[in-house]
Amino acid sequence: MFSEQIINGITLGSIYAVVALGYTLVFGVLGIINMAHGSIFMFGAFMGVVATSTFGLPLPAAFLVAVVTAGILGFLLEVLALRPLRGKKGVSHLAPLISTIGVSIFLENLATKIFGAGNKPFRTSFSEVSFQIGSVNIYAVQIVIFVIAAILMIGLSLWLSKTKAGRALRASAEDLDAASLLGVNTKKMITMTVIIASIMGGIAGILVGMAFNSVTPQMGLSMGLKGLAIIILGGMGNVRGAVVGGLILGLAETAVVMTGASGFRDAIAFVAIIIILLVRPQGIFGKASEARR
Amino acid sequence: MLADLINPYYLQVLTFILINIVLGLGMYVTLSAGQLSLGHAGFMAIGAYASAILTFTYHMPMIVGMLFGTILAGIFGLIIGLPTLRLQGVYLAIATLGFGEVMRVIFVNWESVTNGAVGMSGIPNLGREISSALRDWGLQASSFGLRNNQLSSLVVFILLLIITILIFMFFRRQSQSRVGRAFAAIKMDENAAEAMGINITYYKVLAFVQGAMAAGFAGAIYAHITGYISPSDFDYHRAIDILIYAVFGGSEVIWGPVFGAAFLTAIPEFLRSIAEYRYMIYGVILVAMMAFRPQGIIDHRVLYRLKRRRQAKKAAKREKEVS
Repeated sequence: MFSEQIINGITLGSIYAVVALGYTLVFGVLGIINMAHGSIFMFGAFMGVVATSTFGLPLPAAFLVAVVTAGILGFLLEVLALRPLRGKKGVSHLAPLISTIGVSIFLENLATKIFGAGNKPFRTSFSEVSFQIGSVNIYAVQIVIFVIAAILMIGLSLWLSKTKAGRALRASAEDLDAASLLGVNTKKMITMTVIIASIMGGIAGILVGMAFNSVTPQMGLSMGLKGLAIIILGGMGNVRGAVVGGLILGLAETAVVMTGASGFRDAIAFVAIIIILLVRPQGIFGKASEARR
Repeated sequence: MLADLINPYYLQVLTFILINIVLGLGMYVTLSAGQLSLGHAGFMAIGAYASAILTFTYHMPMIVGMLFGTILAGIFGLIIGLPTLRLQGVYLAIATLGFGEVMRVIFVNWESVTNGAVGMSGIPNLGREISSALRDWGLQASSFGLRNNQLSSLVVFILLLIITILIFMFFRRQSQSRVGRAFAAIKMDENAAEAMGINITYYKVLAFVQGAMAAGFAGAIYAHITGYISPSDFDYHRAIDILIYAVFGGSEVIWGPVFGAAFLTAIPEFLRSIAEYRYMIYGVILVAMMAFRPQGIIDHRVLYRLKRRRQAKKAAKREKEVS
């Protein structure tokens, strides 16, 4: 029983980590909180439902559809909501926050219009398959989710550390102007960052759909909030922090459900935000100066 | 004659406009110190539920419930504001977004007190309360030539109009005082403000708590006017509503949120066909405002022009009289 809950917590946590990576990438490079990330995540989940249930496509094709949709949404987000604010004089630091809130509320209500307000089930061919290892019962879905999440996380950190594009992205995160002087096409890097972050969000959407077997237009908000809590927990713009923070939140939520207070599960993220801001505002892996003004 | 002019439906729309103006003013004062709060819906919920529970479950007088709801919202604002406002602006936005969600979760799950997702109904009605008080003084609706529901809508509207004007005057005077200048300095540049000797955490918390109290008060009034509240009345959409009053109307001058709240509350009432797409339009408005007019529709320049036009008219009139 206990080890099953640990596995549930790790599965959940690995999804949260993927969501949080999207926030962290954009914050790292652009220094802004992308409030629309949760809605793009939700759209990815719906694309998975539409592809598998309505068109009867296999799961890998569903992933492809979600990736393409989320990528397009990320591109539009950058071009329509973020780029017009960049480099403009007299724009307050709240402007990108408000602009992305606008995108999020638009997408949420668009999804309600297109897909309806209710729950949509997300069925996969192996959703009922489970293994017995010793006394522990593991669902195949959990393994698939964990493997995909792990591939994404490892792939992203390898890409960031080993490839030329990854280095350019890290240079842009360090200092946009200096990177530009050194010959990095920062405009392209920024667009790419938002698109990659959105794609991670779209994939996470499908993973959540598989894990909970349900997709709603409102899931973007609660998942977005958890992603934000995680990046505060792990340290803003820190990739390792996002992964560790995601696992911590996943395990903490599972622990709360185990004690029977499942209704208050969504409150954990908020409690985590307040505690970490009181105790260690820069996050677990953050540098001390970052959180200050 | 008077009876034909007073339409309870229009009075209700006007009353909601006033509530939204109070909410918009709460958002304005927080924004005027350069802070973005997404938790005003949560503070509104605290005010509404606190007042509803005190008056409905414990049969307290309505004024006690409203004051308690307002103060409780302020206390929660203090609890959220103190740890987050020492940090960068984004932390407050995230923490308040989480706060709004957590309040909703609590009101849904705390069923013994709040009746859960179903919501509370039968909350004492402000209009009825005042009408019955008037009746005790010997003032009947018929003595004004009005029906009962007309009288109650009318007294609620007048009372709320007076309160709204008082709140407006308070924020207006404050914005021209030492406190308001401190807010403006922090909004411009926190580091420079701090270097000038302004205690920026104190003023940011002050602005935020004032906004929370305004939202709490609006929530309490809302509960006693509609008579029914549920957690879904105070969800993320409500937070967006409150935000857009100030962003659309303008967060630079105090007339901005007044205009934004009045305009955006009235329009969906008269254009029913677009009401369905309201939040999609709001999303487009938020993005477009940030790109093209971040200070909102009403800014210093618009006010200045209006003032000049009025002065020019006056001058022309005077000239005519002289000649």
